[in-house]
Amino acid sequence: MHVPARIYASKKLLDNMDSGVIEQVTNVACLPGIVRYSYAMADAHWGYGFPIGGVAAFDTEKGIISPGGVGFDVNCGMRLIRTNLRFSEVKPKVKELVDLIFSLVPAGVGVKGSQSFAQSQMGDITSLGVRWCAEHDLAWDDDPEHVEEGGYIRGADISKVSRQAITRGVSQFGTLGSGNHYLEIQVVDPDRYFDPALAKEFGIVHDDQVMVMIHCGSRGFGHQVCTDYLRNFESGMRRFGIEVRDRDLACLPFNSKEGKDYYSAMVCAANFAFVNRQIIVNKVRDAFAKVFHRDAEALDMHLIYDVCHNVAKVEKHRYDGSSMEVLVHRKGATRSFGPGHQDIPASYRDVGQPVIIGGSMETGSYLLVGTAKAMEDTFGSTAHGSGRTMSRTAAKREVRGAELQRKMLERGIYVKAATMDGLAEEAGMAYKDISEVVETMDRAGISKKVVALRPVGNIKG
Amino acid sequence: MPFRFLPDVALADIAFEAESDSPDGLFETCGAAITDIMVDPKTLRPTTERSFSLESEDLDRLLYDFMTELIVIKDVESLLFKEYEVKVSPQGTSLTAVIKGEAIDRERHRLRNDVKAVTMHLFGVKHEGRRWRTTVVLDI
Repeated sequence: MHVPARIYASKKLLDNMDSGVIEQVTNVACLPGIVRYSYAMADAHWGYGFPIGGVAAFDTEKGIISPGGVGFDVNCGMRLIRTNLRFSEVKPKVKELVDLIFSLVPAGVGVKGSQSFAQSQMGDITSLGVRWCAEHDLAWDDDPEHVEEGGYIRGADISKVSRQAITRGVSQFGTLGSGNHYLEIQVVDPDRYFDPALAKEFGIVHDDQVMVMIHCGSRGFGHQVCTDYLRNFESGMRRFGIEVRDRDLACLPFNSKEGKDYYSAMVCAANFAFVNRQIIVNKVRDAFAKVFHRDAEALDMHLIYDVCHNVAKVEKHRYDGSSMEVLVHRKGATRSFGPGHQDIPASYRDVGQPVIIGGSMETGSYLLVGTAKAMEDTFGSTAHGSGRTMSRTAAKREVRGAELQRKMLERGIYVKAATMDGLAEEAGMAYKDISEVVETMDRAGISKKVVALRPVGNIKG
Repeated sequence: MPFRFLPDVALADIAFEAESDSPDGLFETCGAAITDIMVDPKTLRPTTERSFSLESEDLDRLLYDFMTELIVIKDVESLLFKEYEVKVSPQGTSLTAVIKGEAIDRERHRLRNDVKAVTMHLFGVKHEGRRWRTTVVLDI
């Protein structure tokens, strides 16, 4: 091992953490150029090569880049938008809202988006992300600054993306996908309204205010980018004499041509994901405006923030007493920059970056804030969600989709799913206790709780 | 054995094991497994045909590329396949495939999980005696 491994966990989480995490976080610690620690966050579970919930920073001169350290769904991430509606106003309309959004935001196997673009536009779209959307009336003026990296990551180059990735992705903008992806109508939980002063900085002023959370990524475009480079990195490793303990740890020097090509393609996919979530938000705004007979501006449907949780980015960090540029891989981990950082929007700079942690569709989610301690300890990173504890097959054995849908309705959560099998696989019992994950990171000082959000309407991909 | 799901291999995704007495059969079985993950095959009809050829460095990568091609066709053309006829070259470095299925119909097809990618985890073709085996973990 080049560096030690560091695992954030309570005793309860550690006792239940699958052994694969320990092995994988150790494997990552053996990769060339890794600095300080190989991290596993409190939600860590087994992944391909790197654990999900893993963070690793590499020296940009001597270190590697790994498609498996980013994940197949490049820039899978979370987006949170607020409304000025109280739950009492929304409660009678939840079914109407969910049904309408379900019709506007395609979800499930092989779906196409309602927003079509030409293949010739893909270079601009994937270079400029939400900035491109703002220039084409597909985003509000203040949307880009409330997206990580200001709406797009610099360094995209569409010529490094395969034709297959482009043809897969071009018709998928504005689609939710499937697996663990969802779109949720949520309410600020009055019993877990942890920091009202901080919440106010993010535009949350009521303890039963209605929010919308979106969890999805770069769809087939990002998956194809990862597939293409994972395959090609294997042969490249032989040339560079790099040996890894798992084929999914395939990596190459960041400074090599292949490493740089992957980075440029991966950035395209990350920007694709920002645009995908933006187009979904546009549909959500349309739906709320239609149901409440007020335009989305009047409903104050501003973006609180959009965070990546599968990405590799070049960032400057201080460690060992000096400032250094590193390539931070966050795979199932969220950036958690503390107050004062220049990459945080001016409106949030005094308080820190919003951190959005998505839970299972039954247990709710959290809005947290980044901290100075995260900058010191984890390259400004924290957990991303609750993490699975049960396989999809096992979950389906435990509960049927229709039965789960009925029980959730009894508990005040109206769910619409692309498939009943997919719904059963995402049951809350298949996931770790998100509150334990969030508490662990809060106690470690890596991210601090602001509010908890409970689901009242859910669209499951 | 056509294919068998491995529920404990990938918590968040889906893994299966496939076996056949020939590379052709192994590829066809892997195709059928991918179909089974995405849709109840009993609800699918073989009314639309697609054919393609592939070349790769070795049998491992040929299988990886074959499964990836099925995922690409699903995303680009919204087609799912019920019948697979694959001919792998004796060297194991190229193939021709004729596959039959139909466009996704959300009313008639019982859809399941969307398969998004083939991972390299545990992946590889093993040839023992007259049996070809593989383990595949798919990203869901």
